[in-house]
Parts: sequence; C-alpha cells; structure tokens
Amino acid sequence: MNTLEELKQLIKSSFGIEPKTLKADAPLADYGLDSLSLAELLFAIEEHFNLDFPDDRADVKTLAGLAALIDELKLAAIA
Amino acid sequence: MKRRVVITGLGLVSPLGDTPDQVFESVMSGRSAVELWSDDEIAPPAVVARSPFDVSSWFNRLQLAGVDRVSQLAVAAAEMARADAGLAALDENSGVYVGSGMGGAAAIEKAFNNHLESGRVPPLTVPAFMPNAPAAHVAMRAGIHGPVFTYSIACASSAVAISEAAKAVSRGEIDYALAGGSEALLVPSVIRAWQALQTLASPTGDDPSKACRPFSKDRSGLVLGEGSAFLVIESLDSALARGARIYAELAGSGISCDATHLTKPDAAGQVRALHAALRDSGLSPTEIGYCNAHGTATLVGDVIECEALRQVWGNDIDQLAVSSTKSMHGHLLGAAGALEAVITTLAVARGALPPNMNMTEQDPACGVRVVTEPGTPAPDLKAAISNSFAFGGTNAVLVFRRID
Repeated sequence: MNTLEELKQLIKSSFGIEPKTLKADAPLADYGLDSLSLAELLFAIEEHFNLDFPDDRADVKTLAGLAALIDELKLAAIA
Repeated sequence: MKRRVVITGLGLVSPLGDTPDQVFESVMSGRSAVELWSDDEIAPPAVVARSPFDVSSWFNRLQLAGVDRVSQLAVAAAEMARADAGLAALDENSGVYVGSGMGGAAAIEKAFNNHLESGRVPPLTVPAFMPNAPAAHVAMRAGIHGPVFTYSIACASSAVAISEAAKAVSRGEIDYALAGGSEALLVPSVIRAWQALQTLASPTGDDPSKACRPFSKDRSGLVLGEGSAFLVIESLDSALARGARIYAELAGSGISCDATHLTKPDAAGQVRALHAALRDSGLSPTEIGYCNAHGTATLVGDVIECEALRQVWGNDIDQLAVSSTKSMHGHLLGAAGALEAVITTLAVARGALPPNMNMTEQDPACGVRVVTEPGTPAPDLKAAISNSFAFGGTNAVLVFRRID
C-alpha cells in the first residue's frame, strides 16, 4: 500500500470517511475537517508512521501534500 | 423582586437509563445499575455504575475531535432537557450552569499514559479535559450566548450549579437556564485513586448490585457512577405564558461550607445549609415530606447527615421520609446533585417516595425514617429536598415544591 492509500485508511479509521470519496488534491476542509479534527489527524499520522512533523511543516492542506511530506520525513529518518 | 422559578424540562444519561420516565420507574422499582468492574491487569476490582450511551446519536466522528466523554454525556442530557421543555431556540437571554467534579478524566489518563509510553500526547488533550468543556459544548450545541458557567465543588457541583441558575432566573438576569452536571471518571487510574482513599464499597459481596447500602449497619462505602443530568429552569410566569408543562417549582436552595475538614463532613455545616434552604423557600420542616439524601453509604457520612436532619426536624423527624437513591445509581459526584434533582422533581410531581435499597439492618446511629419499600405512594407529598454534601466542606440543599 502506498502512503496515500495508507493515509486514506487512517482517515477512515479516525473519522469514518470512505477512502473512495477522498480526492488526493482536494482541500481536507472539503471533507469537514476543521482545525481540531486536522490536529487529531496529524497526531494519528505521527503515531501510525512513527514520525514527528516539524512545527513549520504541519500546515499541509491536501492528502497529496500530506503523503509527500510523510514520504520525505520517512526518507530523512532512514538517512 | 424575586420571580418564582419552575422546572419545565428534564434530560439525562444515567446508569438507570436516558429518559426521565424510565429512570424514575427503575428507581421506584428498586432496580440497581451497580455492577462489578474487573480488570486485574489494570486495577483491583471495583463496583461501579456505568451509563449505557451511544455517542453516535449525538456526534459524528469529525465532531468528536477533542470531545471527552464527560462533554458527550452533557450535550446529550442537555439537549434532551431542552427538547423536553419544548424550547426550540435559545439565545443571549439564556445561560448554561454545569457542575463537574473532575472534567475529562479519560483525556487526562490518555495523556499521562502516552507521556510515559510514546512521549506523544494527543494535541487536543487540554480542550478535552478542561472542566468547563461540558458547559462550552452544551452552549455551542444549543446556541446559548448568555452566561456559561462551570462549578467544580466535588459532590455538590451540580446542586450548586442548579442553585445559581435558579437565582439568575429568579433575579431576571436570564429567561432560561440549562442547569445540571456531568461526570465521567470511570477510568482505571481514577478508580485506583478512589480505592487509595479507602472510601469505596467493598466489591467482595455475593451480589455486586447490592454493594451500595446507605444507612445500613453493614454499609462499606460509596459506589462510583457516571452520567449527566440537566434541568430547564425558567420563571413561573414564562412557563405559564408559553403553556409549558411544569414539573415542579424550584422553591429555594441553601449553601454553606463546613470550613472544618477537607473530607470529613460536619453536622453543624449541613444544618446551616438546611436552615438556609428552608428560609429561602419559605417552608417549615413539617411541610417537607421527603429528603433525597446525600447518603453515599460511607461509615461517617451517613451518620452525620442523619444527625443534621434530626437537629433541624427535631421531634418531627418521623414526618420526613428519607432515602438515598445512590443505592441504585451510584454516586455521580459532580453530576449527583443534578441526577438526584431530576429524581426528586419527579417524586414531587408524581407523589411517590423513591426507595433506599439494600439496607439489611438500619444503623441505630442513622435515626431517620428510611423508605425501605419500592413503589411507596405519597399522594400528599407537597415538597421535598435534595442534599449534596461535598469534599471541601460545601453543602448544598435544593427545595422542590409541587405545582397544583
């Protein structure tokens, strides 16, 4: 499973939103995520992927953006 | 000028159910919701009273971000009270008055567990556990823009909240109040803390549902419960003008503080609250037919409460029927006064005396007339009181009067 699909599954388990309805480039706000639920999602991502978002990078607004950031942080952790 | 204040809506999520009718019927039949909680790996067994609750009826998954169970229960109970009162819209002329002893216990426990395990603490921990979160959620859900207050006074929290709400309505500061309490602290670390205090009922009896035995010679302590209850309070004139159903009049209240000991109750302090409540309501002791006692079933507490009642009622003490319904729904701590206010309101409205269950033999040191039989009618019941006496020494007494 690629990072984007993993993210969609995580959103499903966190908020019950069906993965097939999620578009990679749509703003997460379109799915009803507000500042509070987004904070919870970022926390769930950190727990799931065992990584820490740097404070200045936690403002990604779309799934595609989030997936790219996760991949970047995972690579940085290996390197 | 003081306006007369009445109760026109009831809502609750309690160990005995989530409709006023169902809860009152359960109480009158003597049904207990107390059960054994056991998870040997986390904490020693305890007897508790949990509230069955389906959160999906009240919040979708996105709305639940940062909402602890204590706020979930509060929103459900308050919304049911508002609907029961037939009030569609509330605004800046309305207020929210909520009692809670602890706030979001589950959120606090999770934060500490995470802190010690992964080091990553959920980002919404603070707004989830803050004690005023239940009041804030109730206000947001109902669109209430007036005073939104939280009272954290241990076991007297919600009785004080109701008293304060009634005063605000009585003074004309607001038209409607949603007043009540919420508590949800049945998580292992908090149960352990209560066990450490040596005040909980023994879980070792044959029948856990009978673990809470107020005024009984063999009582062994209190049973922790969870839940939420709310009342809609408005002026008598307002209720009459809009043709609302009136359950009972909130005739008065009395508050005092022992100022003697952090956890040990004091009869003199309780007597002051009882006298203040009678004075505020303009009623004499013999006009009060029923007392929903604080009656937690601790060794010391029950004796002191009976002593206080005897001092105030004197030779008329046998005219006062007394019961602790905690024998069935447990001790809801910050929400206890609210749940017991709902039960006492219905006792007055329906002319019936809720029983005090599980008293195998009355403690001679608890010399009051205890209601031992389920289903006791009291058609002549005109007024009743509900006692809430807190750790920290604050005593609250609410007075309810029948509206004919």
